[in-house]
Amino acid sequence: MTTSPLARLLIIEDNEEVLRSLKKYFTKKNYDVVTASNGLDGLKVYENDQDGFDLIITDLVMPNISGVAIISLVKKKSPQTPVIAITGWGEHPEALATEAQADLVLEKPIELDRMDRFISDLLKKK
Amino acid sequence: MSPSKIKQKAPAIIGTSQAMERIKDLISHVADTGLNILICGESGVGKEVVAQNLYQESPRSSRPFLKINCAALPDGLLESELFGHEQGAFTGAERKKRGKFELADGGVLLLDEIGDMSIALQAKLLHVLQSGEFSPLGSEKEVHTDTWVLAATNHELEEDIRHDKFREDLYYRLNIIKILIPPLRERPEDIPHLIEHFVNEYAYQFQAGRINIPGNHMIAKLCEYHWPGNVRELQNILKRGFALGNWDEIIDELFRYAPASIPSSGQSAGAMGRSASVSSLSGLDYRTLNLDDISLKDITRAAQGRVEREVISFVLEKTGWNRSKASRILKISYKALLYKIKDLNIIIPH
Ligand SMILES: Nc1ncnc2c1ncn2[C@@H]1O[C@H](COP(=O)(O)OP(=O)(O)O)[C@@H](O)[C@H]1O
Repeated sequence: MTTSPLARLLIIEDNEEVLRSLKKYFTKKNYDVVTASNGLDGLKVYENDQDGFDLIITDLVMPNISGVAIISLVKKKSPQTPVIAITGWGEHPEALATEAQADLVLEKPIELDRMDRFISDLLKKK
Repeated sequence: MSPSKIKQKAPAIIGTSQAMERIKDLISHVADTGLNILICGESGVGKEVVAQNLYQESPRSSRPFLKINCAALPDGLLESELFGHEQGAFTGAERKKRGKFELADGGVLLLDEIGDMSIALQAKLLHVLQSGEFSPLGSEKEVHTDTWVLAATNHELEEDIRHDKFREDLYYRLNIIKILIPPLRERPEDIPHLIEHFVNEYAYQFQAGRINIPGNHMIAKLCEYHWPGNVRELQNILKRGFALGNWDEIIDELFRYAPASIPSSGQSAGAMGRSASVSSLSGLDYRTLNLDDISLKDITRAAQGRVEREVISFVLEKTGWNRSKASRILKISYKALLYKIKDLNIIIPH
C-alpha cells in the first residue's frame, strides 16, 4: 500500500555520499526526493520544475553555483519556500546564507532525525 | 594597462570541449542574477571574454561595463580609481574625481587580478559589497552604488587565504558563483576551433588571399604544445604565422624553448639520469649526434634558453605579469628582463 508523499524536496549537495544518504533517509520517511549534485544542475532542476518544491536543502560550498546563490535565487522567485543550508566543518559562509534568508543553517555532520524534525516544523509553518 | 572602458560587442566564446560547453551553459543561467561572480584561471584563458559575455547576456547590457586591473596600479591610485576622491583629498588631487563604483552604477565592474589587491583595500571593497555604499577619499558622505561586481584572478585564492594575503570573508562574498576556466593544455580539442576562429577573424584584416593558413600537420603540432600563455599565446603565434607563413620555424621554436618535462620520480641519478636531463634541458640528445656535431656552446645555450624561459615565465605569471616586480624577484635589471622577454619570445598578455 502506498500513501501519498508528505512533501516534495529538492536536495542539492556535491558530496555524493551525503547526497545518497539524505535521499535514502527522506525517501524512507515518505518524502518525494529530487536530487542534484552541483549548483548548476540544482538550479536547472528548480527552474524547469512544473510541480513545485515544498522545501529545498542545499549545501553551501559547491563548485560553480554556491548554495548562497541558490538560496538568493529561490527566495527571489518564491520567498515562501523554506530553504535549509548545510555547511561543512571549517567553512564560514553561514553569515551569507542567513543574509540570503536561509530559514535554517545546519552544520555537518548532519543528524538526520534532527533535520527531519526541523523539516516538519518548517513545512507546518508554511 | 590603464583601466579602460569597453563598448564593443563581446567576443564569442569559442570551444566545444566539455569544460567550455559547461561554462557557456553556466553563463546563460547566471547572467541575469546580479550575484557576484569570481572568474578563475591562468593568464590568457579567456577570463575577460567570459566577463564580457556575462555582461552582454545580462539586463545591464545597455549600461556601462568598466574594467580595472588591480595589479597594474599602486595601492593609493587604485583606491582613488575605485572610489574617487574629493578636491584636495591628497597632494595632487586638484580636482574632484569620480570612482569606478560611481561610474559603473547600474552597470558592471570587472575587478581584474583581484588576488593582487592589498588587504587594506580588500576591507574597503568588502564594505561596498556588504552595504552597497562607499565614501570617496576625503569625503565623509557615503555614496550608494548598484554595481554588479565580477572579479577575475589567476591566483589560488584559497592558498592566499591560508597565507593571510586574502580575506576569507571577501572570498566567500565574491565566490557566490565561480567560473573556473581550465588552461588550454587541458582542452586541446578546442585548439582547432580557435585556429579556425582566428583564421576567419584575421582574414578580414589581411589583404584577401594573403593570410598563410597552417596545414593539418601544423595544426596537429599546435595541439600538442602546452601553451603556458593559453589562448592569448595561441593568438599571438597565429598572428605571426598568418603574416609570415613560416610555420615550420614557429613550431620548431615553440618546442625548442618549451620547459623540460619533469623526470618521473624514482629515476636513478646515475650517469644515464644526468645525461637524460641534459637532453631534456637542451631539447636535444647530444648522444645521438655525430661527434663532430657536438658543440658545448650550442648545447649550453639551448639549455640556458629553456631554463631562463621557464623561470621568467613562472615569475611573470606569479606577479600578474608585473615586469618591474618580476625583475626584482629575479634579481636582474628591468632592462635585462625586457630584453630576455623579447629574446626568448615570451608572450606577454596585454
Ligand atoms: N574561448 C575563447 N574564444 C575566443 N577567444 C578567446 C577565448 N579565450 C580567450 N580568447 C582570446 O584570447 C585573448 C586572451 O583572453 P582574455 O579574456 O584577455 O584572458 P584572461 O583575462 O584570462 O587573461 C583575448 O584576445 C581573447 O579574445
